[in-house]
Amino acid sequence: MNRARYAELLHRLAANDVEFIVVGMMAGVLRGAPLLTADLDLVHRRSAENVSRLLAVLTELDATYRHDPRRLRPAESHLMSPGHQLLATTYGDLDCLGTVGDGQSYEDLLGRAPALEIGDGLVARVIDLPTLIELKEKAGRPKDLAALPVLRATLAETLRRS
Amino acid sequence: MTDTLAGSDPIPCEPDLDENGVDLAQIREMLDLTPAERMLVIENLADSIARIRKLNEPRAVR
Repeated sequence: MNRARYAELLHRLAANDVEFIVVGMMAGVLRGAPLLTADLDLVHRRSAENVSRLLAVLTELDATYRHDPRRLRPAESHLMSPGHQLLATTYGDLDCLGTVGDGQSYEDLLGRAPALEIGDGLVARVIDLPTLIELKEKAGRPKDLAALPVLRATLAETLRRS
Repeated sequence: MTDTLAGSDPIPCEPDLDENGVDLAQIREMLDLTPAERMLVIENLADSIARIRKLNEPRAVR
């Protein structure tokens, strides 16, 4: 596994005008939840132009399928699909998700992913805590359920501060 | 608790846990950081875990 450089990864995507939304545990972390994660999950817009820009960044970052011993590289057809592409890159593990939950796409999530200023001029759309909690509840896997108490407590504290 | 502490040692505050055992102090600390700093915390943790895993990988026998 390469040294994790998630901020740099986001910078590369943003610099190449890739349209994406940060989801998963990293979204929780960016919104203030003290969770541990070892990858960056994002939902990308599945238009031909955006997938082409995303693929260019993935090629720069030497992305390969991390569970495939052939070190297969993602192609446009993979990224146009609603499925999940679990990749290893030079900046750490990156999951490019065509959809999440019950088939929610980039467009479906857009209204629930306000832009967040991350630093060094980087602004990225990050899913909000209520939507992340909803997705984790629907997913219902043990790892999702385990994160829920921390996410709910973070949401409560965030609301208390606002 | 006072039985185990030496005479004049201050008594630590009770931890601030919610009904699920979530440490609310950790949440407040994270919320006090900027998003970039939060991401750095995760990068450092992920690196530490990777380093420890590497150190404990079975080594080839010569």
